[in-house]
Amino acid sequence: MSAALLAVVLAAAIAVFARRSHARVTLLREARPAPRTEDIIRRARRELVQVLGQRKLFRKAVPGLMHAFIFWGFLVLFPTIVEAMLAIVDEDRTLPIIGQAPWFLFTVDLFAALVVVGVTIAFVIRKVQRPDRFRGSHMQEADRILLTILAIVGSLLLWNASRIALGLSEHPQAQPLSNALSSLFAGGAATEVAERVLVWSHLLIVLAFLTYLPKSKHLHIITAAPNVFFAKNGPSGRLEPQRIDLEAAEEDMRFGVATAEDLSRKQLLDLFSCTECGRCQEVCPAWNTGKPLSPKLLIMDLRDHVVARAAAPSGEVQLQPPLVPNAVTDEVVWDCVTCGACMQECPVDIEHVDTIVDLRRNLVMAESRFPTEAGAMLRGIEGPSENPWGQPSDARTEWIGDLDVRVLQPGDKPPEYLFWVGCAGAFDDRAKKTTQSVARLLNAARVDWAVLGPRERCTGDPARRMGHEYLFQMLAEQNAETFDDAGIVKVVATCAHCFNTLSNEYPDYGAHLEVVHHTELLSHLIGEGRLSPAGAPIGSVTYHDACYLGRHNGRFDAPRDVLAAGGAVAVEMPRNREGSFCCGAGGARMWMEEGGDQRINDTRFAEAEATGAETLAVACPYCFVMLDDAAKGKGSDVRVADIATLLAEATLGEGVSPPRRVPGSTDPWTNLEDSFGRTADS
Amino acid sequence: MGAVWVYAEVTPEGPHPAALELLTKARRIGEDVAAVALGPGAGAAADELGRYGAATVYASEDPVFADHPGRPAAHVLASLTADHAPSLILFAGTYGSRDVAGRLQARTGSTLMANATDVLAPDRARTEIFGGTKIVDVTLAGPEPRLVLVRPKATAAEPSGGTATVVAVAVDVPADARGARIVERHEEAASGPNLDEARVVISGGRGLGGPDAFAMLDELATTVGGAVGASRAAVDAGWVPYAYQIGQTGKTVKPDVYLAVGISGALQHITGMKGAKRIVAINKDADAPIMKIADVGVIGDLFSFIPALTQEVRRRAAS
Repeated sequence: MSAALLAVVLAAAIAVFARRSHARVTLLREARPAPRTEDIIRRARRELVQVLGQRKLFRKAVPGLMHAFIFWGFLVLFPTIVEAMLAIVDEDRTLPIIGQAPWFLFTVDLFAALVVVGVTIAFVIRKVQRPDRFRGSHMQEADRILLTILAIVGSLLLWNASRIALGLSEHPQAQPLSNALSSLFAGGAATEVAERVLVWSHLLIVLAFLTYLPKSKHLHIITAAPNVFFAKNGPSGRLEPQRIDLEAAEEDMRFGVATAEDLSRKQLLDLFSCTECGRCQEVCPAWNTGKPLSPKLLIMDLRDHVVARAAAPSGEVQLQPPLVPNAVTDEVVWDCVTCGACMQECPVDIEHVDTIVDLRRNLVMAESRFPTEAGAMLRGIEGPSENPWGQPSDARTEWIGDLDVRVLQPGDKPPEYLFWVGCAGAFDDRAKKTTQSVARLLNAARVDWAVLGPRERCTGDPARRMGHEYLFQMLAEQNAETFDDAGIVKVVATCAHCFNTLSNEYPDYGAHLEVVHHTELLSHLIGEGRLSPAGAPIGSVTYHDACYLGRHNGRFDAPRDVLAAGGAVAVEMPRNREGSFCCGAGGARMWMEEGGDQRINDTRFAEAEATGAETLAVACPYCFVMLDDAAKGKGSDVRVADIATLLAEATLGEGVSPPRRVPGSTDPWTNLEDSFGRTADS
Repeated sequence: MGAVWVYAEVTPEGPHPAALELLTKARRIGEDVAAVALGPGAGAAADELGRYGAATVYASEDPVFADHPGRPAAHVLASLTADHAPSLILFAGTYGSRDVAGRLQARTGSTLMANATDVLAPDRARTEIFGGTKIVDVTLAGPEPRLVLVRPKATAAEPSGGTATVVAVAVDVPADARGARIVERHEEAASGPNLDEARVVISGGRGLGGPDAFAMLDELATTVGGAVGASRAAVDAGWVPYAYQIGQTGKTVKPDVYLAVGISGALQHITGMKGAKRIVAINKDADAPIMKIADVGVIGDLFSFIPALTQEVRRRAAS
């Protein structure tokens, strides 16, 4: 009788669950596949560390503990659901082997208690602390979910207590909490009824929760693990290429993501994995300076749109409305600085930036729709001069002045290091100082290096982050050819954006280079004793991590090592290393006007100034321009300077002329050992 | 093949200039060219439309077309199309014509191509993609009439010297095909300085120290008949609105004379004004990058120099 009833209830619950999951399952099944299966071992390791180990959740200690208690409790208590079913059929039946084992009984009691503690912490966070990251999240739904979890664990504890009262437990002393609760039950017939009621209640609440999942944000308990598994391997700074072949058949042409149908399977899974915790929102430079973009709201809005479309009655012709502006506004799409802080924080590895760039790709390539002021940058890169500012190519060597610099001519013997100057490094007056400092230091350390001069062109990075994939592709292919022709193997770059795209994205276009950032090379040269900063120490410095050097590529130490070697007294800003706060120029925002209540660069500069450091050290020309503008705008005494310039002053002194290389000299230009560990694992 | 039509926007002041360009183009595509002119001014415009190549002008003076945007015109065009079966209808890429073309397409179910830069044949048109970096020719498939929205100024208007037969169009637009009614028209005053056309541009930067100093520049600009601009630093500081901004992410200007007042000359700014014929920089810092591109550099205090300059210009103008 009980068995039959149980079977009916189970079947009903599974049927409702399946029906309610149908829309999402269909969407996932029909979506564009995202081939994310390479390096399974790494993916499996991520499951262990990030899902089982809850690594990213512990970036916040208390909320992390809260979640871990509930999550681990959920895993450990899973067998008790089976146990409840067995007990429904026959109250004397328990799980084989472990059912009456003292350690198992104790573990259940312990983790049930931990879940109760976890839920309590969650309520304290949500009701007392009320952090801003929950703004825009479904708060009532969260309350409902937490109360249900409490009911599941509460009914389990009470059921176990009633069993102890009935003498059905062989080791009540192993169940301290349940044992204490068992005093609530007098025993006898009334308790026997209570035991039946409790076991059924427990199971029914569990099943009700199951049927509630598919349409709720709590679906993450099913989707999070696969979402982490299918997350991008390798540096987060690499965007998936979207090959544009103008000769291809029209139906094969795809320009980013226009409608819900264009989202890849991983992008959809992202939407179904969001549990609205708002860790992304809390760190987003756009949201923090009063702009409409919040990575969390972006994902929620896309999810709601996609689900609503899927649920719409199917007519003969289903016209999919574009995601922009129907799900998210244009402004939201353009506010993003692609700093990756959201992805860094997201416990379930949602890839916000990649989706935003895909939306941009469609707006730019299919609709020519983007903030007007960025047009000058695109025209500059497209134009004959091939740089964002439209400066003449032959002006690329103007920074050289009377410095001793080899400009590589076609057919020349390749240098050990090609110094990729970059457009900012060649044309922007502030960035030029960095370029000159690097040149002087490389000469002082007797590195065999050269520049491409007028043969250099934009890497295409700003175009790519804007969404102009086609323009980026053209430049990447041309630059790859230049590298190949010149026989270049090693490249040093001062621009974090050039550094990222050359090292992570150019391999997709045939250029396999060993790319180092200038701070890495300088740190290495100091270590080798080839640069000895013996002059006046750098003084008190706070270092601003560039997103595309630090967070996206894991280079945190080299810049700090160089400063330390130069005698700097380092003061960290509250937001540093992978938690750094963007200068505001990434994601091609360098080329757009900024809205919102505050400016991102002013916000970051104020943070630097508050450290009391004399100097704000940067390691990227975009950061340099943004933060220096903020300093000047504020009339601050804090000096903004690139690490290379600070080191050059500490090593060569100001205005000290660098050792000159005499043409034809037999000076041994020793090769540097290749000792740069590639450890980008973020 | 059937006729080539041009949807000509008209006002009592005459036909829209784009209509004459489209007629010039239509003559090169087909023998039988007609124009459709709807709204007050249509009759008077017919002469000029004929002079540019329309053999027939389907015209109506009915005010319904001026009172309701888009829908009545699409309604009448749909019935004219059903009666006369043209092969191709050209529209100008204006707000009004885009509205009509889209609505007509929805009614006829024919092909509509937007943003054409040229029309090569009744079933072939040209456009640009990827922000103008690639030119593609497109075949217009689907039932006739094919509808093409052509960018303004794609063809230079040339008169043919012909005359048009005016065919009065009977207009009966039912109330439910009229849609929104225009209740008021007003012209928005241009905001910000007219930087694009000014022969003299006087720009202020961070060196001005605050919004008040811009009054000084305004005075000089009024005296010499120029316009006032600003660097991004001054705009970011909130001293003047974005409409003043000159540079990479602002306006690009090419005046005869450009006065950079208290502007250091960051690359962001230079890219917007390097095309000026003469650049005069006023700055207290002789090493400011602006001095490298300036034809005349004034090293000194702008707060005494600018009023003195204004006075001198006035004195010379008076004598």
